[in-house]
Amino acid sequence: MTAMLTQPVPATPAARPLRRTLARALLSDWFVLWLTLAYFLILLPVLPTLGTPANLANLLSNAWPLLVVALGQTFVMTIGGIDLSQGAVIGLTSTLGAALIATAGPPEVLSKAPIWGLLIFEDGGVLAGQLWLGLLAMLLAGALVGLVNGTLVAWLDMPAFMVTLVSLITVGAFAIWLTQSENIRNLPDSYVALGKGEIVSVYIGPKEEPQIPRRQVHELVTYAALVAVTLAVALHLLLERTAFGRQVLAVGANRRAAEIAGVPVRRIIVLVFVLSSLCATVGAVLYSARLEAGRPTLGEGTFLLDVIGATVIGGTSLFGGKGKVLWTVFGVLFFVLLSNSLNLMNLSTFHIDMVKGGVILAAALLDVARTRLLRGMA
Amino acid sequence: MRSTFLSALGATAFATLLGTGAQAATICFAFQDLETEFWVAGHKAITTTLTEAGHTVIERNANEDANRQLEQVNDCIAQGVDGIIIIPQDGESAVTIVQTAQDNDVPIAVFNRPPSDLSKGIVVVADNATIAEQAVDFVAQEAMARITDRPIQPLIIVGDLGDPNAVGRKDGFYAALQKYGDKFATPIEVASEWDAATALANLEAAVTANPNIDLIFTSSDFLFPTIRSVLEPRGKWVPRDQEGHVLMAGLDGDATACQLIKDGFVDATGVQDLYFEAESAMNAILAAIEAGETQPNQVIEDPGFALTSANLGEREMDMWGCVLLSEGFLNN
Repeated sequence: MTAMLTQPVPATPAARPLRRTLARALLSDWFVLWLTLAYFLILLPVLPTLGTPANLANLLSNAWPLLVVALGQTFVMTIGGIDLSQGAVIGLTSTLGAALIATAGPPEVLSKAPIWGLLIFEDGGVLAGQLWLGLLAMLLAGALVGLVNGTLVAWLDMPAFMVTLVSLITVGAFAIWLTQSENIRNLPDSYVALGKGEIVSVYIGPKEEPQIPRRQVHELVTYAALVAVTLAVALHLLLERTAFGRQVLAVGANRRAAEIAGVPVRRIIVLVFVLSSLCATVGAVLYSARLEAGRPTLGEGTFLLDVIGATVIGGTSLFGGKGKVLWTVFGVLFFVLLSNSLNLMNLSTFHIDMVKGGVILAAALLDVARTRLLRGMA
Repeated sequence: MRSTFLSALGATAFATLLGTGAQAATICFAFQDLETEFWVAGHKAITTTLTEAGHTVIERNANEDANRQLEQVNDCIAQGVDGIIIIPQDGESAVTIVQTAQDNDVPIAVFNRPPSDLSKGIVVVADNATIAEQAVDFVAQEAMARITDRPIQPLIIVGDLGDPNAVGRKDGFYAALQKYGDKFATPIEVASEWDAATALANLEAAVTANPNIDLIFTSSDFLFPTIRSVLEPRGKWVPRDQEGHVLMAGLDGDATACQLIKDGFVDATGVQDLYFEAESAMNAILAAIEAGETQPNQVIEDPGFALTSANLGEREMDMWGCVLLSEGFLNN
C-alpha cells in the first residue's frame, strides 16, 4: 500500500507537454522577471500609482543599494553558506567612513565616543577632504570582517550560520560602541552624491510653465544606479566567465568533489566571504549617503530579511551550487516591487513583513521544487 | 475650562477647528514607532482628528528604521500626497527627510522630535531644556531640604543623544543642578538610547555600583516602570512620605507618571502639551496646503510646564497624561 502511494503516477500523454512547459518555466533564468512583470501588470489597474514615473523612479532608487548587498549574499549562498553579518558590516563601515570623512564633529554629540579625538575632531574627520581614502578605509574594514568570517568557516569548518551570527552581534555592538550609538552627520557633498546624486533626470509631459516643478522631474540615471549596475556586471562576469566563478559553483555543488578535483576550496570560501563583506560595504556607502549620516544601527531590524529574501526569490539555491547575478537582479526587482506595492495598499508594517516572510517561504519551497525537478531530469 | 475641553473631547477635540475652511487633503503620517504612551496618544490625536475632519490619512510605521522611513516618505510623495506629518527616528534622519519632501514640493511638519537643523520644515517642538529644568529644580530643592550633611547624589537616565529632545532634557537637568554648586555630587549618567531594555541593563549596573542614589531624573516618563523594576528589589521604591524615598522626576507627562505622582512615588514631571503640539502640526500643514505653500518653514514651540507633587491639585488636568488617566487609559 505504502509502496503504491510513493510510486510516482505516470503522466498521461496530454499532461506531459504541460508539465514540461511548467518545468521549463520554473527552471528558466527569466522566471522571476516574468513573475515580476505579471505581478506589476495585474496590480496596475488596481494601483495606478504603481506605474507612475515618480513611483518607478522611487522603486529603482530603493533597488540599487539592496542589489549591491544581495550580490554579495548571492556568492555566499552559491557556496552553500549564508552571511548574516552583512547588516552589521553596513553599520560598522558606514559609521567608520562617516567619522573619517566628516567635515565637522559636534562635540555635544560625540565627545563621549571612543572615536572622539582619535578619528574625528570638532573640525572634522582625520580624512576630511580625502573621499577616496575614506572609501578605501571603509572597504578595508569590511574586508577584514569578511576575512575573519571566511577564515573561521573555511579553516575551522565552523558553520557559516554560527560564524556570521556571532559577527552580526559583535560587529554590530562594536559599531554602536564606537560612537556610543550616535549618528555622524556633516558628510561631504561628494559622498552624499553617491547615494542621492542624479546624472540624468527626466520630465514627462508638456512644458506649460517656465519652471517645471521639482516633483515632476524624475531621476533616471543616478550615481547609485551606476555603482550597482557596474558591480552587477563585474560580478556577473566573475561568476560566469572566470575560473574563480566555476570554482565557486563547484564548491557549492559538492565541496568534497571540488577538493578532489583540485579546487582550492578554503581559499574560495575565504574570498567569497570577503566579497560579501565588500558588497555590504558598498551598500553602506549608498545607504549612508542617501541618509546623509553614518549610522551604527544601519542594517539592523528586518534588513537581512530583505537581502536574503531578494536573493532566494531570485533563485539562488539555499543548498548551494546554483546562483546567478542575473537571478539576484530579478529577485531584488521583485522584492522591491512587492514592498512598494504593499506600501501603496496602505498595509501596516507588520502586515507587510508578514507578506514578505510568506513570499520568501514560497521562494524557498520553489527552490526545493526546482532542485527535485533538476534531479528528476538528470 | 481647558481641562474640561480636553477630557470631554479627548483626542478629537479640535476636529471641528480643522474641518472648517480647509479642503479635504491627503496627509501622509509617517511615524518611527509607537513605543511610548506619548507617541500612542499623539498618533491617536492626529489620525482621529484628521480623519474626522474629512481628510485622508496614509499611515506609515517605520518600525524604528530610518532608511525604511525615508523609503516610506518617498512612497508617499510618489502617491501624490498633499502634505506630510512625520515623527522621525532621530534628528539626523529628520533633516534628510524634510529636505527630500521640500525638494519634491510637498509641505512637511515634524511632530515633537525635531530635526538637527530647525530651519527647514514646520517643526513643532517642546522647550525641552526649560521643561526639564523646572522639573529637576523642584526635586533638587526637595533633596536639599532633606539632605544637608553630605553632597546629594543625582542620576540622570539620558535618551538617545542623536535626538535633540534628549540633548535638551540633559541640558535642562544640568542647568538646574548647576545653580546649587557643590551641594550635588557629579551626576551619574545612564544611557537608555530610548530603549527600555538598554536602560534596564545600564541602570542595574549603575545602582549596583552606586547604591546611595538620592535623586533620579529620567529623560522620558516611559522609563518609570524600568526604574521601579530596579529600585523595588532593593527596597528603594517607596513613596515620598516614607524613609528611603528616592526623589524622582521625569519628562513627557504621561498617564503612568500622573498615577505615580498621585501615589507618591514620583515627585515631578515635565509636561509636553501633546494636544497643543498635535493641533499645531495639523493646523500648520493644512494651512500650508490651503495656501499652496510647498516649503513652509516655521518653528512652533510648546512652552510646557512641570507638574509636581506641590501643584498637582491645581494643574493636574493641564497634563495630557492625567486627562488620559481620568478616562481610564491605564485600565484599557
